[in-house]
Amino acid sequence: MKNKDVMFWVFLAPVLLALGIVIIVPLIYGVYYSFTDWDGVNEAQFIGMENYLNLFSDKDFLNSLWFTFKFSVATVIIVNLIGLGLAMLVTSYIKSKNLLRTIFFMPNLIGGLILGFIWQFVFTKVFDAIGRATGIEWMQGWLSDSTTGFWGMVILTSWQMAGYIMIIYVAYLENVPQDLLEAAEIDGANSFQRFRSITFPLVAPAFTVSLFLTLSHSFKVYDQNLALTNGGPYNSTQAVSMDIVNTAFQVNQMASAQAKAIIFFIIIAAISLTQVYINKKKEVEL
Amino acid sequence: MLNKKTLLLSSALILGLAGCSTGGGDKTSSSSNKGDVTLNIFQGKVEFKTQFEDLAKKYEEEHPDVSIKVQTVGGGNDYAGTLKTKLASGEEPTIFTVSGQTDIDQYRDRLSDLKDTKAADLAVEGALDNVKQGDEIVGLPVNLEGYGIIYNKKIFKDAGIDPASIKSMEDLKKAAETLDSQKDKLKLDAVFALAAKEKWVQGNHAANVFVGDDFKYDPKATYEAKDVPLKNSAAFKEYIDLQNKYSAQPVINLDYSQQVEELFSTGRVAMIQQGNWVYPTVEQMDPELAEKGIGIIPIPLNGEAKMPVGVPSYYVVNKKADEKQQKAARDFLDWMYTSDTGKEAVLSEFKFIPAYEEYDSSKIADPLSKEIYKYTQDGNTTTWVFQNFPLDWSDMFGAEVQKYLAGKSSWDDLVKEMQSKWSNARK
Repeated sequence: MKNKDVMFWVFLAPVLLALGIVIIVPLIYGVYYSFTDWDGVNEAQFIGMENYLNLFSDKDFLNSLWFTFKFSVATVIIVNLIGLGLAMLVTSYIKSKNLLRTIFFMPNLIGGLILGFIWQFVFTKVFDAIGRATGIEWMQGWLSDSTTGFWGMVILTSWQMAGYIMIIYVAYLENVPQDLLEAAEIDGANSFQRFRSITFPLVAPAFTVSLFLTLSHSFKVYDQNLALTNGGPYNSTQAVSMDIVNTAFQVNQMASAQAKAIIFFIIIAAISLTQVYINKKKEVEL
Repeated sequence: MLNKKTLLLSSALILGLAGCSTGGGDKTSSSSNKGDVTLNIFQGKVEFKTQFEDLAKKYEEEHPDVSIKVQTVGGGNDYAGTLKTKLASGEEPTIFTVSGQTDIDQYRDRLSDLKDTKAADLAVEGALDNVKQGDEIVGLPVNLEGYGIIYNKKIFKDAGIDPASIKSMEDLKKAAETLDSQKDKLKLDAVFALAAKEKWVQGNHAANVFVGDDFKYDPKATYEAKDVPLKNSAAFKEYIDLQNKYSAQPVINLDYSQQVEELFSTGRVAMIQQGNWVYPTVEQMDPELAEKGIGIIPIPLNGEAKMPVGVPSYYVVNKKADEKQQKAARDFLDWMYTSDTGKEAVLSEFKFIPAYEEYDSSKIADPLSKEIYKYTQDGNTTTWVFQNFPLDWSDMFGAEVQKYLAGKSSWDDLVKEMQSKWSNARK
């Protein structure tokens, strides 16, 4: 038993070490710097809670928080609906399902920056051309106001994430025992009832993982944001990550940016852990 | 079971959070390691990285006891960030670049006095305004840049407009109206391309003309001003409105590459507000147009037309390097800007507008730069003060202009907002 304990820590040590150096130590430093007036070059002075108190009157930060929140809600719902839909499609009895899986997964292999530029072209050129040719007003001038900027971001992220989330759902869907479904069918349950009462509860663990991934991903969105709208027009589509980076590297307020990052970290951790806790309670074990 | 999974998920969360970091594309190029003194140069202009390294090699050949390491980190924010990282980790470059008073204040205890260099003696008038600190001169200008309204000569000629006659906003308006009325004949999409998506076009350059006047274009006064009167705000509004009215739409979405490449280089618009840095881009699109077909006029204000010419960045010598390195650094900068080999490279390889006297202006590589250098020789210029606006004020200005153009706020709101942002930043 004792030997096992030693081996446990030996195997864990490299990970703990790496985690400590790149995560824990910077986190502690970060918390420290958020209480100072550090500008990145000169000696830091301790100034207490000032950075945090200033955040409440920082309109840009509050706006970007609200934007990120709205964006995450929309993205989480859309990505999971599409992901589940695609997963059900490629686990059904259609012929080209292997090919389709690859195709649906593909967007996820392209980096966020490149995707951003591709979609920028689609929105500002392709949409615009279609809009002009057919006279459809809402297709013109995409990304030039805050509404289309917002939905542009949602569409881009959903398109990228859906294939990834699909894979998770596929894994769980394929593990749903066929005999249960058959038995239900013989008992006269229609396909919706079969999905609601058998498939859905058994796929619930996938929801925990997928919701968690989409939630944390969409809260932290940065590269797509940078490439697609760069916060514009008039900073209305600026997500929190971007606000933090800009505060740190454009305005040189490293400490204030650090305070924002800490608040942001707490918010994400709180939301994600709550979500996992709630989902966990709803799962059923087979 | 529950605990393990939660733990796993929460560590995934923490790992994921750490995932976002910015990567810089930096490359060290080191020449041979011979010699007694090593100069570490850290600079941010990717455009002339190879040319600069070639020049450094030439210097090494002439001075075998010096070896030079050039490190170039490109593109906007990366430079400042990487420099900070380097300094924080104790890796001090001998020569690096700064721009504006904020940078100077931040690095003040590292900047050595360059008053006694030959280059400082020969700097053109006004080019050292930003780096005079007391009776010290802490930096040497890298180059000059200028901006204004760049126009297409052929379109102007076809429409019968003489660019030299545009001296006031009224003239500019008339020219725009004339061009607009002949749009079909001239095959124009629009008269202007107002790149409102790029906040710096309004926030830095246009603002420099209209806001800089409040401080008589004096960098020190701009840096110390507690408030901004914005007394030219009506003229500024007129200028933005004029461009917006006759611009390719939607302006809020119009970026630099659309403005310069898609619209201006192809002759679909007649005028854009940009500077001499667009030349290589236009040249790539249409060499003939770039060589013969474009000219530049100043943005008119209160009946005056002066070209804003400024120094985007300065070379500084690090005081924390040892005495020998500092001396070698000063010698190298002198050599680069005042020796014949150096001058030749500055003009024909770097393609700079020189910030120093005694250059043969006929050798300046492109027509825009030539015109701008002529303005500096005639003394018909104003300086750049936008680097001394409060940090990110320019960016906010650009964003407020977008808001105004989108119809989400009035010009009066914009003025009030920008005044209060200035005062807040300078409290």
